[in-house]
Amino acid sequence: MNAVAAEWIKLRTLRSTWWALGVGVLTALALTALGASTVISRWAPGRTGEQAAMGIVVADYVGVVLAQLPLGMLGTMSISGEYASGMINTTFVATPSRSRVLLAKAAVLAAIAVAASLVIAIPGYLYGHAVASRFGPTLPPAGAWAVVGGGTLMIVMTTLLGLALGAIFRNGVVAVCVLMLLMVLVPFAGLMLPGGEVVNRILPGYPALQLIEQLPDIMPDAAAFAVLGAWAVVPLLIAVLANERVS
Amino acid sequence: MIEVIGLTRRFGRSAAVDDLSFTVAPGKITGFLGPNGAGKTTTMRIILGLDRPTSGRATVNGVPYRTLARPLTHVGALLDASAVQGGRRAEQHLRWLARTNGIPSTRIGGLLELVGLGEAGRQRVGAFSLGMKQRLGLAATLLGDPEALLLDEPLNGLDPEGIRWMRGLLKSLAAEGRTVLVSSHLMHEMAVTADHLIVIGRGRLLADTEMTRFVRPGRSLEDTFMDVIGSAS
Repeated sequence: MNAVAAEWIKLRTLRSTWWALGVGVLTALALTALGASTVISRWAPGRTGEQAAMGIVVADYVGVVLAQLPLGMLGTMSISGEYASGMINTTFVATPSRSRVLLAKAAVLAAIAVAASLVIAIPGYLYGHAVASRFGPTLPPAGAWAVVGGGTLMIVMTTLLGLALGAIFRNGVVAVCVLMLLMVLVPFAGLMLPGGEVVNRILPGYPALQLIEQLPDIMPDAAAFAVLGAWAVVPLLIAVLANERVS
Repeated sequence: MIEVIGLTRRFGRSAAVDDLSFTVAPGKITGFLGPNGAGKTTTMRIILGLDRPTSGRATVNGVPYRTLARPLTHVGALLDASAVQGGRRAEQHLRWLARTNGIPSTRIGGLLELVGLGEAGRQRVGAFSLGMKQRLGLAATLLGDPEALLLDEPLNGLDPEGIRWMRGLLKSLAAEGRTVLVSSHLMHEMAVTADHLIVIGRGRLLADTEMTRFVRPGRSLEDTFMDVIGSAS
């Protein structure tokens, strides 16, 4: 617990943390409001209250995942900044177990990602509810939990992937480039190239967008959750193993 | 007490540290001398568990550093004072470091006063001179009230007043019975600070002796050091 508390102090005492969070959360909030208004204005008048409730949650979580890249970069910076300054040596002298340091960072970052998702999702949901009031939205149906779970897991996954890449490459620029490649470029290319859907199935982007109802289902929801979860955990484990071999 | 036993560290084919053995005893200041590339920093990094030896071992109070549960309460280390993130205030830097080892943050104010940063504690470290960063680094080494101190070139960047202050502080820490290992290239300063000397060259031990035995009367530490280094190469 000492390591977790120390990593939280480290993160909250750097202004760059609040810049990344501020940019991520405010952009996502603005786009959520904009997106929800646009989507809801196009709804057919016959939409039921339950369909409206589901639509609000979907529009809301599309907004939440828009904050993932600043959070991924925050994950990277939380360790690459220490390598760049050399302060990582002080960290490892104080906590010789490198896996403990990495897992403490992961715990703090995951909590921040969940908190950021709620800071976007709760106002976004209330806003969507207000805009869609003429449809009389009910409480979100059971199916909405896959959307909430998928969107939340995506933003946590990207944050932890950023951390893992930072710990593996020990260089912020390289790590952020690889993060962009995995999250943006390769999935985009996969949509256009023949056979791309096979590649996309094992990349984190498609399963997340399937869960938040933005792309057609190509796998069961459980499989989509498993792929996302694997992207959150496996790169981090690789980083832990790579770091345990003291260079 | 710090012990280095048959320590060897190879990088590729060359040995940065070559079968090095010495003991740093408590209650005095031990100067750790050697030309650039002699292996001083590598030795200190191995003692602190930051690097793994090819063979041999290093222990602190009889155990490897990495097995200590709250290492900052045993050893205070200052490897590179400029290796701090500039965005934090001095006081915040000490706060996270204290937290890693469950050290109460109530110690921070007094330590900042002790190293002469009482006023500067609220400033961001990025605005600090190297001398101020050395002072902050020294405060960090004392957080856990450790019985051993490992300081790599702590005099770099200090002004004359700072050097004199550091000398006095190190002497009082040694007088309290602590183990103090200090590397430096400043021979005149080492001559008036260190009680004991460990001299290495090309990773090998060249001398491990009392200052008064190392330097013959009428010669300076600098002359003696150059002779020892010269005859070894």
